[in-house]
Amino acid sequence: MLWLWILIGVLAVVALFAVVGYNRLVRLRNEVDTGWANIDVQLQRRADLIPNLVETVRAYAAHERGVFEQVTRARTALQQAGTPGTAAEANEGLTVAIGRLFAVAEAYPDLKASENFLQLQEDLTDTEDKISAARRYYNTTVMRFNTGVQSFPWLLVASPLGFDAREFFSARGDTAVPQVSFGTDAT
Amino acid sequence: MTLQQQIRANRLKSTIVVFGFVLLLLLVAGLIGFVFDLSLGVVALAGAAVYGIFALVRSRSMVARLTGAQEVAPDAVRPLRRLVENVSIAAGLPVTPEVRIVDDAAPNAYAAGLRPEKSYIGVTTGLLATMPQRELEAVLAHEVAHIRNRDTYLMTMALVFAGVIALIADIGFRSIAYGGRNRGGGVLVLVVALVGFLLAPYAALLLRLSLSRRREFLADAGAAEMLNDPEAMALALRRLERDSTTVKYAEASTAHLWVESPTDRVDSQRSGVLALSSLFNTHPAIGARISALEDAGGFGLPEQLPFDEPFGIEHQLV
Repeated sequence: MLWLWILIGVLAVVALFAVVGYNRLVRLRNEVDTGWANIDVQLQRRADLIPNLVETVRAYAAHERGVFEQVTRARTALQQAGTPGTAAEANEGLTVAIGRLFAVAEAYPDLKASENFLQLQEDLTDTEDKISAARRYYNTTVMRFNTGVQSFPWLLVASPLGFDAREFFSARGDTAVPQVSFGTDAT
Repeated sequence: MTLQQQIRANRLKSTIVVFGFVLLLLLVAGLIGFVFDLSLGVVALAGAAVYGIFALVRSRSMVARLTGAQEVAPDAVRPLRRLVENVSIAAGLPVTPEVRIVDDAAPNAYAAGLRPEKSYIGVTTGLLATMPQRELEAVLAHEVAHIRNRDTYLMTMALVFAGVIALIADIGFRSIAYGGRNRGGGVLVLVVALVGFLLAPYAALLLRLSLSRRREFLADAGAAEMLNDPEAMALALRRLERDSTTVKYAEASTAHLWVESPTDRVDSQRSGVLALSSLFNTHPAIGARISALEDAGGFGLPEQLPFDEPFGIEHQLV
């Protein structure tokens, strides 16, 4: 009789741990999803600013087609990116392209002085700051979630339960500090 | 200790302190129930609950009035608003807290509101006029960390708990002193009860203050983590420490809210002579907060603070 009670007790404790641990993983996964949604909103906002920016620059420098195409391609790549890794790559690509666009704009004083252009520039800087803030949060949540998923004993059952390690939002060879694009003063 | 470890250790200690509060409240109510009547103890507890809820509901507007924080249109302080948005995103807050301005030359800031969605950050004009962007961001991140960690909630609770305990203990003390109904028990019981009622408010005060100090360390660590820049937080604290103006609206009742304690600067300076007095501070000594950040981030602050232009001047906010 005593053994039965001990067995029940042990099972109850195990069940309790399982429930608590499972709920923790669910919570961590939700945090990752929220973190990703935050980045996505800002990436979308950045992509939305691009057509307007291209049109504004085109009004002053219509013949700089190469740059416009590069920016538009980079924007499309960003919108089609499916995973955090590719999105981060595409975002970097867009940063480089926008850097080139601003470098072109340097040659047109009227453009640089235009109210619309200044506003767009400010909005872009703001969005970039927000992307990097959202990225810090997202990467922290991913790190917590992955640690949870990869530690014993969840390591054994996490994947069948649908808890797969997530990808960080970072481009290849990326460091914590965003790279400044080639010699342009983008501010 | 790493930031993560600090955060975990602080959470644990905060839980213990809150548990201590509940225990203390039950103890005082139990003492009343034992010395007088069981039902009286229950009534005391119920009364405490009602008073507590009322105080919690009123707390948000009360804090704004006590500190003199003014609501401002988001557009009027757009650059500042943007910084708050950024740190809120980095903290993963669902909603960006409102910004309110306290017209005061002393650099300081606080966060208030029971729920993250209804919180606001109060910033003095002095803070805007002294802090460069990097450090201002750290201070804002510190306040956002308070909101994210539910410190504003916890500290309001602590204030209410301490108030309620003091109230009940006072009633119990007076009842004995003026010879209320005594349900038997010897002189010893009476003496124990008297001492209990006398000491309970001080115990509550000490608990509240130690909780407040814990939360400060936690918010510093949180801010450093959010910005990935412990040095910015340390620099901001050093700048606050070197500044000698104090907040006009400094009051003991709201002292625990501010990023730098508005009242216990004097206390922390005499801590060498009277070490016990640091127990009565709402904030840990700034030096201790800076060293905690230096340990976590593995850096040492330079003697000279950077000479960058203050954010409020740069953006013509003050």
